[in-house]
Amino acid sequence: MKRSLSDNSGWRWVTCHSSLCWSLAGIMAIALLPKMITIPYYLHVLILVMLYGGLASAWNLMGGYTGLLSLGHAAFFGLGAYSSTLLYLRLGVSPWAGMAAGAIVAAVAGVITCYPSLRLKGPFFALASLAFAEVLRIISVFWVDLTAGSNGLTIRYRPGFEYMMWPGKEMWVYLLLAYLLLVVGTVWKFQRSKLGFYAVALREDDGAARMLGIDTTKVKLYVTMASASFTAIGGSLYAQYMSYIDPYAVFDPAQSVQFALIGICGGMGTVFGPVFGAFIMVPLSEFLQGTLGGSVRGLNMTAYGIMLMVVVMTLPQGVYPALMERYRQWRNARAKAAAAALAKEGQVDVA
Amino acid sequence: MFGQVLISGLMTGGVYALISMGLTLIFGVTRLVNFAHGELVMLSMFAGYLLSTIFGIDPYVGVIPVALGAFLVGVLLERGIIHPMLNASHAAQIFVTMGLSITLMNLALIVWGTDYRSVRTVYDGMVVYLGPWALGVPRIVTFVVAVLMMVGLLLFLSRTLLGKAITAVSQDRMAAQLMGIDIYKMYTIAFAIGVMFVGVAGCLLTPTYATFPMVGQYFGLTSYVVVVLGGMGNVVGALFGGLLIGVVESLSGYFIAPALKEAIYFVIFVVVLVIRPSGLFGIVGAEEMGIK
Amino acid sequence: MLLEAKNVTRNFGGLAAVKDVSFAVEQGEIVGLIGPNGAGKTTLFNVLTGFLPPSQGEVRFEGRRISGMLPDRICQLGIARTFQVVKPFGNMTVLQNVMVGSFLREGSESGARRAAEQVLEMVGLAHRRDVLARNLTIADRKRLEAARALATRPKLLLLDEVMAGLNPSEVNDVLGLLREIRARGTTLLLIEHIMAAVMAISDRILVLHHGSLIAQGTPRQVAEAPAVIDAYLGERYLIA
Repeated sequence: MKRSLSDNSGWRWVTCHSSLCWSLAGIMAIALLPKMITIPYYLHVLILVMLYGGLASAWNLMGGYTGLLSLGHAAFFGLGAYSSTLLYLRLGVSPWAGMAAGAIVAAVAGVITCYPSLRLKGPFFALASLAFAEVLRIISVFWVDLTAGSNGLTIRYRPGFEYMMWPGKEMWVYLLLAYLLLVVGTVWKFQRSKLGFYAVALREDDGAARMLGIDTTKVKLYVTMASASFTAIGGSLYAQYMSYIDPYAVFDPAQSVQFALIGICGGMGTVFGPVFGAFIMVPLSEFLQGTLGGSVRGLNMTAYGIMLMVVVMTLPQGVYPALMERYRQWRNARAKAAAAALAKEGQVDVA
Repeated sequence: MFGQVLISGLMTGGVYALISMGLTLIFGVTRLVNFAHGELVMLSMFAGYLLSTIFGIDPYVGVIPVALGAFLVGVLLERGIIHPMLNASHAAQIFVTMGLSITLMNLALIVWGTDYRSVRTVYDGMVVYLGPWALGVPRIVTFVVAVLMMVGLLLFLSRTLLGKAITAVSQDRMAAQLMGIDIYKMYTIAFAIGVMFVGVAGCLLTPTYATFPMVGQYFGLTSYVVVVLGGMGNVVGALFGGLLIGVVESLSGYFIAPALKEAIYFVIFVVVLVIRPSGLFGIVGAEEMGIK
Repeated sequence: MLLEAKNVTRNFGGLAAVKDVSFAVEQGEIVGLIGPNGAGKTTLFNVLTGFLPPSQGEVRFEGRRISGMLPDRICQLGIARTFQVVKPFGNMTVLQNVMVGSFLREGSESGARRAAEQVLEMVGLAHRRDVLARNLTIADRKRLEAARALATRPKLLLLDEVMAGLNPSEVNDVLGLLREIRARGTTLLLIEHIMAAVMAISDRILVLHHGSLIAQGTPRQVAEAPAVIDAYLGERYLIA
C-alpha cells in the first residue's frame, strides 16, 4: 500500500516493498560473506556490528519507542553474560540453556527496576538506571566467591555445538545474524502492533495515553522485560564469543552508553536506525582503535563522543531517518521532473 | 573512633557539597542535567595541577584564575552546546552532555594518559586537632570554602538584581520573560556560575585527591546522588546532601566494607528517587519535569 | 442513568475546587457544563475520569462505582475525554493518533486502521491522515483530539472546551459533528464558554460556580435563573 508523503520525518515505519527487498538482499549478502572473506579480523568486525546492532535495537525498544532513556543497559548485558557463564563453569549447564536463563534473570531485573522508576522522567530515569548498573558492577567486583571479581571468568576452549564454541568465525557470523534478525524482527513486529502504538503514545503524552485506555504501567513492564531479555542474550553471546568476561567489560557504563549512542546516532524509534548506526559506528571504532588505538588511548571514544554531540545537535532523529528523508525528497523531485517533462510534450495534463 | 569517622565524613562531605552546588544551580535554572559535570571537575583539577607544576602556583591561590577560567568555559559551553538544545527532547539534552562527557574524558586521556598525578603542597600532612579528633587542613579549607560559597550564592540570588532575575527564571520561565528578563542571558550566567563553582572545587581538591582523566566519573556520579538527595535546584540542599553522603560513605566504609561504599550510596540514591524524588529540600514534582 | 455524581467534593489543600456536586447524565443526552473560569469544571472532569480521586462523594457509571479507579480503567469501561489544552501525539501521524484510540477495541493493526479511518471520515480529517500531528492547525488538533477519543467507542464522551479558539463557521461544523456523534449512540457532556453553541445544542445544562452547582435544567430555565445571571451570564440571556 502506497503511503502519501508528508513533511518532516518523525516516528514512522516503512511498509513499502522496497525495504523488504533491501533487507533480504542484505541478509543474503551477510550470509555469503564468511565464504568470501578469509581474513578473520573483518569477520570479527562483522560479528561485532551485528551484536551491537542487536543490542542497540533492544535498547531502542525502551529508549526510542517508549521514551525510557536507559543509561544502565549494561546491567542486563552483564546479567546475561554472567548468568550463562557461571551456570556453565560452575554447573556444567549448556550455554544455550544458560543464555535462556540469563534472559529470564534480566527480565526479572527489568521488572524490579521498572516499578520504582515509573514516575521518573527523562534524566532522572537515566540516572536511576545508571545507578542500578553501577550497583551491579560494584557487587560483581566485590563478590569474589561468586564472580571471581576483577579477575574475571575465562571459558576454556571446547568446540562443539552444545558448548556454543566453534573453531573459526563462520558459525559466529550465522549465530549473530540470527540474533540480529530476531531482535530487529521483533522490533518490526512491535512497532506495528498494539503494544508498539501504546508505547509511542505514552512516550508522547502520558496523560493522553491513559485517557485512551492504555495501562501505561503494563506497557512499560512488557517493553522493559523484552528489552532486558534481548540485551541479556547479547551478553551471553558476547561472553561465549570472547571466552572471557569481567565486571569492567560487561557492567561498564561505557557499554551502556554505547548501546544508547548507536541507537541514537542511527535513529531512535525506527526499525533500521540502530542497525544502520552499528554498521557505521562499530567499524569506525575498530578502525580508530586498530590504527591509532595502540599508541593513543581514548581516540575512538573521543570520536564517539564528538559524533554523538554532532548527531544530537544537527540530526536529532538520527542519521538513518535523515538519509531516508533525503532519499524520499530526491525521488519526489525526480517524479515531479518526469511528470513536468511529459506535460511539456503535451502528453499528460498535470493538474 | 565513631566520632572520628563521623568528622572525616563531614569533611569529605564538604568536598561533595562544593562539587554539587554548581550542578544543582544549573539544573534549577535551566532544568537540564549536565552529564558532563564530573568531567568539568576533572578538568578543573588538571588546571590546578598544571598551575601548580608549571608555574608553581599554590592551589589555594590558583583557585582565582581557575575560577575565572571556569566561568569563561561555562559561558562558551552554554552558548555553544547547551543553548541550542534548550527546547530539544529529553533524549537530545541527555545525550548532548553525555557526548560532551565522553569527549572531555577521552581527550584528557589522549593528552595526559592514565597516570595518576598529585600536587604536593605544604599543607598535605597538616592536621588540626579539635578535641580528640583529627581534621586534615586541606579538608577544613574545602569545607569552609563550601559553606562560604553557599552563603555567597544565596546572598547573590536573594539580594542582587541579577540574582533575583535568575531566581525568577528558575521559578517560571515564561513569567520571567514577560517581565522583561532576558532568560537566555540568565541561563548563560547561571551556567557559568555553576561551572565556576566546579572550578573552585576542582582546584581545591588537588592537594587531597589524585588527578587523572577518569576521576570525573567518580565525582560526577557522586554529585548526582548529592543533588537528588538534597533536591534538584536547591543550593542549601546540596550542602546538606553532600555532608550526608560524606558521612554515609565514611560510616559504611568503616563499618561495612570500603569496596561497597559507592554501592551503599547508590542504593540510597535509588531509594530517594523512588520515595521522595524531589529530595530533602527540593520542589515536589521536579522529577516529573513539568516546567518547560 | 448513565453517569451519576453524588456529593462529589475535591479539595486542594484548604480550597474546595469542587464542592458537593451531584448530578446525573442520561443515556443519549447532550449535557452542557458552563460556569466562569475557575469554577471547577475541568477539575470536575478530572475527578469523573479518574485523574483525581474525589475527596468526598462518589461517581457511578452504569451503576458501577468508578471514583478511585485509574483513568485507563475508566476509559476501558466506556468514558472518553478530550483535554482543554490539546495533547496530540506529535510525532505520530493523524491516522496513527486515532489508531491508538481504536486499538482499545480492535486487536489487529489492520482492524485498528480501518476503524480509525472511519472515525477520520466522520470528523472530516481523512484528507490529513498522513500529516504529523504536530504540524496541524489548532482547529484540526481539536478535531483530532475528539477523533481519538471517539475511536475508543465510548458510551460517554467528555469534551473540554472543544470549540475554544474556533471561528463561527468552525463552531457550526463542530455542532454538526456533535449531533452526528449523539445520533450514533454516544452520550455527550461538554464544557463550553461559547454560549450560543452550548444553548443551541444542549438538552440540559449544569452551571458551576466556585465549585458548586448553582443551577441545572433546560437551556431556557438556566438562562432565566437569577443565580446564573448574577454569577455568569451578566444579563438576561436571550435564546433565539
